[in-house]
Amino acid sequence: MYSVLPRLAAGLASFLFCFSLQAATPNLVVYTYDSFASDWGPGPKVKAAFEATCNCTLELVGLSDGVAMLNRLKLEGDNSRADILLGIDTNLTAEARSSGLFDAHGLSLQSSALPTPWQDDLFLPYDFGYFAFVYNKEKLASPPTSLRQLVDDSGGPTLLIQDPRTSTPGLGLMLWMKKVYGDKADQAWAQLSPRIVTVSKGWSEAYGLFLKGEADMVLSYTTSPAYHIIAEQDLRFAAARFEEGHYQQIEVAGMVRSSQQKELAHQFLAFMISEDFQKIIPTTNWMYPVVGGQAVVPTEFDQLINPAPALLLDETSVAEQRKRWVEEWLEVMSR
Amino acid sequence: MIVSRAIPAGLVLALLALLVLAPMAGLLHLSALPGYEPADLRIWESAYLRRVLYFSIWQALLSTLLSVLPAILVARAFAMQPDLPLRRLLLGLFALPLVVPGVVVVMAVVSVYGSDGWLPLGRSLYGINGILLAHVFFNLPLAVRLLLPLWKMIPQHHWQLGEQLGMNAWQRFRFIEWPMLRETLPGVLLLVFMLCLTSFAVVLTLGGGPRSTTIEVAIYQSLRFDFDPARAVMLALLQLGLCMLVAMLTLKFQRMPEVEIATSAPYRSRRTTLSYVVNLVLIMAATLYVGLPLLSLLIDALQGPVIKMATSAQLWQAFANTLFIGISAALLSVVAGWFLLQYSASLARQGRATGARLVDLAGSIVYVIPPLVIATGMFVLLSPHVDVFDWVYPIVIAINALMGLPFVVRCLGPSIRQSHARYHRLCLSLDLQGWNRFRFIDWPLLRRPLGLAIALVAVLAMGDLGVIALFGSTQTATLPLMIYQQLGAYLISQATVTALLLLLLCLAVFALLERGIGGKADVVN
Amino acid sequence: MLLIEDLQFGYSSQPALNMHFDLRVEDGEVLSLIGPSGSGKSTLLSLIAGFLSASSGRIILDNNDLQALPVAERPVSIVFQQHNLFPHLDLYTNVALGIDPSLRLLPGQIDAVRDALARLGLENMQRRKPGELSGGQRQRVALARALVRRRKILLLDEAFAALGPAMRAELLELVKTLVGEHDMTALLISHQPSDALIASTRTAFICEGRVSMLAPTDELLAAAAPPELRDYLGSQ
Repeated sequence: MYSVLPRLAAGLASFLFCFSLQAATPNLVVYTYDSFASDWGPGPKVKAAFEATCNCTLELVGLSDGVAMLNRLKLEGDNSRADILLGIDTNLTAEARSSGLFDAHGLSLQSSALPTPWQDDLFLPYDFGYFAFVYNKEKLASPPTSLRQLVDDSGGPTLLIQDPRTSTPGLGLMLWMKKVYGDKADQAWAQLSPRIVTVSKGWSEAYGLFLKGEADMVLSYTTSPAYHIIAEQDLRFAAARFEEGHYQQIEVAGMVRSSQQKELAHQFLAFMISEDFQKIIPTTNWMYPVVGGQAVVPTEFDQLINPAPALLLDETSVAEQRKRWVEEWLEVMSR
Repeated sequence: MIVSRAIPAGLVLALLALLVLAPMAGLLHLSALPGYEPADLRIWESAYLRRVLYFSIWQALLSTLLSVLPAILVARAFAMQPDLPLRRLLLGLFALPLVVPGVVVVMAVVSVYGSDGWLPLGRSLYGINGILLAHVFFNLPLAVRLLLPLWKMIPQHHWQLGEQLGMNAWQRFRFIEWPMLRETLPGVLLLVFMLCLTSFAVVLTLGGGPRSTTIEVAIYQSLRFDFDPARAVMLALLQLGLCMLVAMLTLKFQRMPEVEIATSAPYRSRRTTLSYVVNLVLIMAATLYVGLPLLSLLIDALQGPVIKMATSAQLWQAFANTLFIGISAALLSVVAGWFLLQYSASLARQGRATGARLVDLAGSIVYVIPPLVIATGMFVLLSPHVDVFDWVYPIVIAINALMGLPFVVRCLGPSIRQSHARYHRLCLSLDLQGWNRFRFIDWPLLRRPLGLAIALVAVLAMGDLGVIALFGSTQTATLPLMIYQQLGAYLISQATVTALLLLLLCLAVFALLERGIGGKADVVN
Repeated sequence: MLLIEDLQFGYSSQPALNMHFDLRVEDGEVLSLIGPSGSGKSTLLSLIAGFLSASSGRIILDNNDLQALPVAERPVSIVFQQHNLFPHLDLYTNVALGIDPSLRLLPGQIDAVRDALARLGLENMQRRKPGELSGGQRQRVALARALVRRRKILLLDEAFAALGPAMRAELLELVKTLVGEHDMTALLISHQPSDALIASTRTAFICEGRVSMLAPTDELLAAAAPPELRDYLGSQ
């Protein structure tokens, strides 16, 4: 019926082909998150660009988000079809590493736009962003200029944030507060709490509510206004620049150890840090490219705030402490 | 006859158990393997979880009462006005809220009741108020549709006698309507309770924050972020146990049908102007309540790129997939439900009331095992042996059929019991069995509730986001998934348009199925 | 005396089936109504009870047109073939509803309920539910309720159709006695001509919405003048 039968047949066929040593065109399977694989994301362009050079087919499988991806891989273990995992961030790399499911990529990253040189041998970054509070310039004339100001000003703007248990930006904010306040983070959260309108499950709910005018500011990315400027010619939105700096999110990809297409996977990762891939990122994924600099970033990005210094907690402490920190956060927020 | 009826029912029950228990066992087994965190099974000692449990129950209970009690009044109003213009349309409208994906409901509710909305509530929206608003939006219409057919089961003579004996409105309700309601109401209460208990996005976003955490969220967190399958299973079982407790309570209050029952045409008694006005007000209030968020969705959507999207091939491909999943799940669900209910009805007819109720319960209660748990468990079981991607559609259909089962039980249950009580002996004496029995006896009588059941499960499955999202896709598989992807890509207005299209298509499917299968007129005995 | 004068009723959707009744029932009489299905017998009872409204004509009892009265105020009690009792209430309550739907009975009325049940052979069964009774017993309870209401007109719409011959005969005799005792007027619909023989001195044959023939019972059943009546009765 409709397209299911051919798909099922194709699935079955590809299953059988797994046994053949020589496939007609090799198929590279990349697990990534939904918005990457969707038609509105980088997916189609990346696929077209890569397939032009590789003499293969690129299959992008969209799984809701980074966490789901990693879990899926863990569940599938060595039976997984995936060759590449693309789209986890540095908060998950420690866990991914300890799963033992990845192989070294063997590539070196030159002229990276990242503040510190890249040292991870298992995972390779492909884009990065900074968390920031986005607001409507017409509604909020003078946004806070630092995280501390946001927290201390009890008459300050109302906020929409995400839950660190279910959302990466949510987790990002929690780590950001940890980085800035250290052990005093609990008190900061307690001060902030009255101005939080709601804590949503994911980024889309919070952003959607923000666009409906439910609060003055929403936790999002410094690049969010770029979407409105470029795609909608809407100049009303901006991100608030905080003196302490902004917490960084670096997204990475890794090669799956049980992959049958190691060469092709390697080729893809190299492609990933090349300009052909990187130039697609800014206006489809709305993040900063790791390579390429001004050549690949559209000029509208100049209107975005400068988020330096980039704040980041090392992946080991995140992996060890995250559960406890989340529980503390819950404790404060549930009062 | 009983033996043969028990076999297909037994098969269904066995399948249910397999579908539910096997994945959970798989997950537990997983956590026993080295490399995974040992589960902290002493959940009851955690104050956090106690708070979660308390909140889950409280919000579900409150939502249920606020949804079902008014629904009785509204259903009654509809029943008393069989000639109401646009009645069919209004009732069709009442089928929609269930279709709308949770995240879209949140948007719609905020559009109406948020700071910039038509009836602004301000910050107080985010808390129990918001949760109740959204839950009543979902469940009041459903309850109305499930309760409405009951009025037709009241014998016409009862109404006539009531009039002759000079009963006032309260006495009519007490003696004539309530006994009929009393039988089905506990089941409806249980269903709505389960829906509210397992509601996720709504509670989390409109709840205002972690204060509003439910067991379902905790399960989600356990399985996804903490990757602690054992804890997830424990919590899922806790949720199941909770529902069984509630179910036991409702069973106590439920009565089995009495001997004399009938299907009659609605009694056109002379109503006073006052009662006419009251009924009209009730119906309008309910319509407004349900309609406003939907209207806001319509308005928002129409401001988006409707034409461009309506002509996108991808959208129609997604629709086709969605339709396929919906119909398949509905058929599977209804067939499974049919066998269960036939068995339950025969038990009831024999006077084995408890057995009958337990079978009904089995069909209903599996709803509370989160699809995430089932899906993940299935992965664990299947992935060593097959390529799971090939099995996506069958699994998604099976899980959606499972989740549709409680609706089938609620829709079809009363009618099957009635038909069975009335005609079983006749069929035996005429040696009318199997297909012939279905064709001549069951089909004409049960067409209507059957149509409703299939239509309901189909639109539920069509609107489902949770299950298909778990499996991933290489292209946009279904409309809800498309909505979710668009939302994640800043394409809010497009997402709203897609949501509108989903809604319209579901309305069309619902009307077609209900009308096509249910037929035009009622069967009058 | 119950006088039905030029009573007309029609379903607007089917004007060809217009009904037109003229009838007279004496005090203390049980008039049997026989006729094919759909001929209008039940409709006539519904019109008298007030469940349906006539388009024209009069229903006169003791010089009052009943149509001026709402259903609850008409001096009518009706017993249907089934669904007379409220299944979740016990027998006592079912009968007591006949006196006062709010169930606030005076001591004398409570006794009346007990007596009525006893009269119909159902003493000591007050607390039982209809579900525990046989069909015949249920109809007797319905009759008990009609009895305590002490209304002038008693309508029986195939009330004993589902009962065995002995039970039927017993109840018909009982109806005849009660109607005579309390000077009531009763109309009895039945598909059994033998019922008419037991209960009624006169019988009316209703056909196609009209009183086709009204005569002493034995005459009507023996002579069977109109062809429709002969068809209805078949070969005797």
